[in-house]
Amino acid sequence: MNLAAVGAIIRKDFAEFGRNRFFVFITIMVLVAWGVVYWFLPDTVQETVTIGVVSAELGDAAGGIGDVDAAGLGVVTFGSEAELRSAVEEGRDDVAAGIVFPDDFSGSIARGEAPTVTLFVPAGLPGDVEMLIEGLVGEVAYAMAGSAPPVDPITEAVVLGTDRVGEQTSMQQQMRPLLLVMVLMVETFALSALVSVEVQSRTVVAVLATPTRVGEFLAAKGIFGVGLALSEVVILGLIIGAFGTSPLLVLVMLLFGAIMATGFGLIAGAYGKDFLGTLLVAMLVMIPLMIPAFAALFPGSSPMWVKILPTYALVQGVINVTVDGSGWADIAPAVGLLAAWGVVVMAAGAGILRRRVAAL
Amino acid sequence: MTQAIDVHGIRFSYRDVTAVDGISFSVAPGEIFGFLGPNGAGKSTTIKMLTGQLRPGDGSIDILGMPMPGRREEIQARLGVCFEEKNLYLNMTGRENLAFFARLFAIEEFEPETLLERVGLLTRVDDRVSEYSKGMRQRLMMARALINRPDVLLLDEPTDGLDPVSGIAIRDLVREEAARGAAVLLTTHDMHEADTLSDRVAFINQGKILAIDTPENLKLRHGRRSVRIRARSGDGVEEAVIDLDEDGAEDRIREAVSVEGLMTIHTEEATLEDIFVEYAGRGLA
Repeated sequence: MNLAAVGAIIRKDFAEFGRNRFFVFITIMVLVAWGVVYWFLPDTVQETVTIGVVSAELGDAAGGIGDVDAAGLGVVTFGSEAELRSAVEEGRDDVAAGIVFPDDFSGSIARGEAPTVTLFVPAGLPGDVEMLIEGLVGEVAYAMAGSAPPVDPITEAVVLGTDRVGEQTSMQQQMRPLLLVMVLMVETFALSALVSVEVQSRTVVAVLATPTRVGEFLAAKGIFGVGLALSEVVILGLIIGAFGTSPLLVLVMLLFGAIMATGFGLIAGAYGKDFLGTLLVAMLVMIPLMIPAFAALFPGSSPMWVKILPTYALVQGVINVTVDGSGWADIAPAVGLLAAWGVVVMAAGAGILRRRVAAL
Repeated sequence: MTQAIDVHGIRFSYRDVTAVDGISFSVAPGEIFGFLGPNGAGKSTTIKMLTGQLRPGDGSIDILGMPMPGRREEIQARLGVCFEEKNLYLNMTGRENLAFFARLFAIEEFEPETLLERVGLLTRVDDRVSEYSKGMRQRLMMARALINRPDVLLLDEPTDGLDPVSGIAIRDLVREEAARGAAVLLTTHDMHEADTLSDRVAFINQGKILAIDTPENLKLRHGRRSVRIRARSGDGVEEAVIDLDEDGAEDRIREAVSVEGLMTIHTEEATLEDIFVEYAGRGLA
């Protein structure tokens, strides 16, 4: 391997990149924009939980249910079960969950017959909130009976939407992986545009008419792409505090993410016919890759098809480290999967670009 | 004498289309060899095989005594190529373009000014290539091909579409390089350029070489040896065509040029284009 030739191509690529106002603009823009967006996002969780209640016995007095429990609980009454259900499903009136007391709730308690209370629980509601609601039902029964009720009401939870078991995280924490992945994708496009110009203008043919080998050309493109993507994603990571308690672990994951992004950049660059064509190909690659990061905005487990997307391991790894404080041992499988994806995608990108160059 | 380029029976096909069909030729050091043919004749494919970009399906290529592509890197270090397409880095300056390629050739102390002066671009050395005219870009391409002081120079349509001034500049450079000892292979479909520049020419059509010789020999062999003389005669013009192979041709010429009112004397030798048509049964367009 002629390292001098590799170095010369990398230097040339950085010079070309720096001369392209569009690339410089989008590179600086994403850093500034994402950094600003991140710091404007709320960094606290919603502490007041609003519950919707339907109770024929209590009527409007149901609004006082919140008083029987700890502070931080708000209650909104609804006239019918259907009304409450749709409010919970659509998230109207900030209703986090709903309780439907049966018509003869107090009578059943008094008779020693356990009434069944229906809970409307949206998918992804944190477990502690669900427990709080169940506790609230018990408190209401206690308040109605005036003392410890002879029987405890039975609660029956109806999960609305796809059930997701997750954790309550701030919007900043949820957005972190998305911002990182988006930066990688922007650099994927920048690299693909540079590669595409080199292929379409056939400057690569002139390069390969010198003693430079195609492997050296590909190595230079790979190093340039990884360097570009990694440096930018690290800068953004520092701005948005993505390194958590294990900075080295996050750095390794970002490195594999940058390798993967570079591989995709080489593929898009090899297929792009012009600027718009390259943009189209890059978008076709980028959109699916961003899905895991969007899925992370919602609590709970992602569907299997999301989990097999190459960026899933990166997104999950960053969340695990920055939110859960996971270490090397905890997320070794995710790091391994990410490394494997990085190697596979980079090899595919290099192979496709090699074939494209050979066909010129 | 060892040939700088020695090609034997090379073939290349793009899927079902045979682009080069078993051609052979050689170019000596210091020789300018014109490779003439219409578009799609196989000229550029031959250049690509000589640069190592394509691997011949059959036959052999030796450049400077080394097999191509077997010793590709060693050959390329002594090879200068000027491509048909203007494949320059447009966002870089002329100086940066040359400096980049000098690094790829591992030339440590490279001064682009000397080369840029030779091609008449010294005053535009720090302008971006995107601001260059077509002729200036072609001259920069030529300068790039000369960075490593090549022993073999491959020029693919180097003056195609250029203004006369740029064309002359390129042709002068080619002659200078040949005088230095470089073997020059020049592809063109401009027969006049080939005639004035080449020591030998090869006609190629549909992937096959039809003839190889010096332009003079080809013209002697295939052209008419005659002189057309025009002179004023009263209110009109009198014209005489004298066949040089006829008996008494010299006397007839002497007599014709001694008359009053002599206007023009033209030789009637065939052009390379005429000869190409004779061989290929078609023109160059």
